[in-house]
Amino acid sequence: MWLVIAGMAVATYLTRAPLLLALARRPLPPRLRLWLRLIPLAVLPALAVPMILVTRDAGGARLAASLGHPPLWGAVVVLALAARRVNLLVTVGVGVAVVAILRALG
Amino acid sequence: MPSGVREGIIASLALVPSVFVYGTVFGGLAVQAGLQPLEVLGMSIFVFAGASQFVAVPMLAAGAPALAIIVTTYVINMRHYLMAATLAPSFRAFPRRWLTLVAHVINDESFAVAVSRRNPPDPWVFIGSAAAVFSAFLAGVSVGTPLGGLVADPARWGLDFAFPAVFLALVALQLRRRADWLVAFVAAVAAVAVALVLPGTWHVVIAGSVVSTAAAFVLSPQDA
Repeated sequence: MWLVIAGMAVATYLTRAPLLLALARRPLPPRLRLWLRLIPLAVLPALAVPMILVTRDAGGARLAASLGHPPLWGAVVVLALAARRVNLLVTVGVGVAVVAILRALG
Repeated sequence: MPSGVREGIIASLALVPSVFVYGTVFGGLAVQAGLQPLEVLGMSIFVFAGASQFVAVPMLAAGAPALAIIVTTYVINMRHYLMAATLAPSFRAFPRRWLTLVAHVINDESFAVAVSRRNPPDPWVFIGSAAAVFSAFLAGVSVGTPLGGLVADPARWGLDFAFPAVFLALVALQLRRRADWLVAFVAAVAAVAVALVLPGTWHVVIAGSVVSTAAAFVLSPQDA
């Protein structure tokens, strides 16, 4: 078991350390800087939106974009609050509450 | 304590309850699957990558080969390459020994917090956030290992939604130019399309790298 855990730890470390160490030292050309600025703009929606719109279970992956899908309404509320620069804790708290209430009603 | 650390901790408070609860769920599941408490804690400290840990536990319980588990872990965590590249320039002034430690605590939530506060991200905000997330996760695992998951079904309380909510709210703060909106929108559509056909976190790796790279070629470097 500890061998598997050590293997998992090494495999994960190899996804984290090399670029952090390699890119922290040298001055970066403008196009690389542009790329680094764009990465979060691509990664964050790529993390978030499938969590909201794609349901995965034993039967496979499905688009869950119906109006009766609570996370969809949670996302609408979160985006509306974030656009108004509402505090993150409040934004997330309201979004979680909306999803919990809709699930309880559904 | 640098003021950024405090800022990073405070900015992460919205996540702490969910990270803690999912830590308890992980601890409970891992023990039920036959891992020893010390192994559960060790995995959480030394791997510290929730998504891959949740996938590894049923594989371990089913007696999957060690190599299969390790390769799966690697693939699920490949998204860290993108985050590490983004964070790297912020840590220019840090000694190399520190970087080997900072690398270990790279996680989705702290990445999101750090890049949304300043661009390029403030290293201390990242460190503060990572400290909060690491502590909350380990606290959750430590509670969940002896007691089982505190909440049988976190989704019933909407706690699963805290993660996409934070990512969405934080990306919204960064959308300043029209090109930013386009990049975020195309990445979201691409990620959904990939998530419908490929398992794990391939959609983050593929949509994240392809869309950001294509946009970096198309846009002018003056946009940096």
